[in-house]
Amino acid sequence: MQIYLPIAELSVNVFLLLGIGGAVGFLSGLFGVGGGFLMTPLLIFIGIPPAVSVATQSNQIVASSISGVLAHWKRGTVDFKMGLVLLVGGVLGSVAGVYLFSLMRQIGQVDLMISLAYVVFLGIIGGLMMIESARAIRAARLGRSLPGRRRGQHNWVHGLPFKMRFRRSRLYISAVPPFLIGAGVGTLVAIMGVGGGFVMVPAMIYLLKMPTNVVIGTSLFQIIFITGLVTILHSVENQAVDVVLALLLLIGGVIGAQYGARFGANMRGEHLRALLALVVLVVCLRLAYDLVAVPQDLFSLAPAGEK
Amino acid sequence: MQACRALLFPLAALIALAAALTPAKAGLVTDLSQHQISIRSNFTGAEILIFGALEAESAAKPGQSTDIAVVVSGPRRDETVRRKARVAGIWINYESVTFESVPGYYAVASTRPLGNMLSDRVRAIEQIGADHLTFGKLIATSIDNSRITLGEEQAAAFTDALIRRKRELGLFHNAPEGVAFLGNTLFRTTIDIPANVPLGLYTAKVYLIRDGAVIDVISTPLFIEKSGLERLIYRLAHTDPLFYGIFAVMLATFAGWTAALIYRE
Repeated sequence: MQIYLPIAELSVNVFLLLGIGGAVGFLSGLFGVGGGFLMTPLLIFIGIPPAVSVATQSNQIVASSISGVLAHWKRGTVDFKMGLVLLVGGVLGSVAGVYLFSLMRQIGQVDLMISLAYVVFLGIIGGLMMIESARAIRAARLGRSLPGRRRGQHNWVHGLPFKMRFRRSRLYISAVPPFLIGAGVGTLVAIMGVGGGFVMVPAMIYLLKMPTNVVIGTSLFQIIFITGLVTILHSVENQAVDVVLALLLLIGGVIGAQYGARFGANMRGEHLRALLALVVLVVCLRLAYDLVAVPQDLFSLAPAGEK
Repeated sequence: MQACRALLFPLAALIALAAALTPAKAGLVTDLSQHQISIRSNFTGAEILIFGALEAESAAKPGQSTDIAVVVSGPRRDETVRRKARVAGIWINYESVTFESVPGYYAVASTRPLGNMLSDRVRAIEQIGADHLTFGKLIATSIDNSRITLGEEQAAAFTDALIRRKRELGLFHNAPEGVAFLGNTLFRTTIDIPANVPLGLYTAKVYLIRDGAVIDVISTPLFIEKSGLERLIYRLAHTDPLFYGIFAVMLATFAGWTAALIYRE
């Protein structure tokens, strides 16, 4: 059954879209990330224009993050105060990102920017996560425990001003690092069509040293607002949000996420992280290959509105 | 055969009517099966039937060849073709050429391959066939913002790429034997309109060609537009994008919330 997408201006199979939404939703529920880093390349791959893929994806992540955050809220694993600090940075970052995006569209390099951003960020995050989780798995197998988070351990972060107390996270740290992380991730949300969880979650764990149990809920909480803002900005700046496409993806995505979350509850943390790292690295390599391999046709037609 | 006859009857009636209305002159009578195509959510493309007849006076005399060429072209807009080049190991869009006023859709159907029935000169004048569309001087803009006027060879490479890409998208189409004569005077052809067509005013031109010379042309308009919900969404996104964006976020919020309630148990 085909459906015509009014903004993308093409006709796509409904079940293909529901299936992509479901599969990505499952992974997002499993790992607690938005799944946008898989969805956006998949949409581009099936022929949706990159600008529409990125903008629509932001809209879809709003829905999947809301249904995800409610469960965390009930369990009390959302640090609202930390979320708000991240959000302030995120708003600035995402506004900058949307303007960068439309600038790159005008000079015809938006595809390159999207691909490079994906390769660089997926490569770094995937690589680091793989190393870390492999270590954790080996340690668990040998029956040793890795040195955990040492309370009161001080580094340069603690020398920064604007210290705030984050009760839920049991942290007393400067507001500057979460603000900067929020701003950086906000920019990525706007140019990559991701929720940014795949950068936000490791940053919270390794840089801010937040306890793992509040990380996902807090990340989802601020993602809702950032992706909501990015959706509105992309609508205004690029007219590229396709609500019909978003609705179909989120129907599949929301259902998939519920099953993913249940499935994930039965898995060990380090195994989950190793698996996520693997998925991230595969997507990264695929995109990197497309950048360096000789293209089948050197010529391409610019989408409407691009030079 | 049955379908053919069913089609022929209203066709013949229409032609008889048209013939009665038009003053007698050597030439053509033509029409389309539909003058308007509405794009709704279930739109997967359309097929239009173009049919017509030769007036009695213009029937071929012995030894003369009579051909029909049908050209359907869509609204024109600028198209940019990019060429990739390798920079520091990765392939990036290096040069771009903007073609002015390229038909968003361009289909040609004819009784014989165009090269056999028309001289290049006539095709160039009438712009029949994608390879005879002319775009003027082509200027390539490089990534470093330098602009050069392309030589013949490079210009041909970019023009070929434009046509090739459009063909792959189903937006340029060529059917060298797509027009069929039914008897001596009636002819018909079908033109495929894919789902990704640009919207707007199209023209369907039918050329009557006698011994390599165009002796009559009839142009009929065809309008393609979005309708229903698709039209509403498209309009809103372009006329009131802020409201549209807020609406999209609210829709997503509602959907996410609903899903969470459904799976709460």
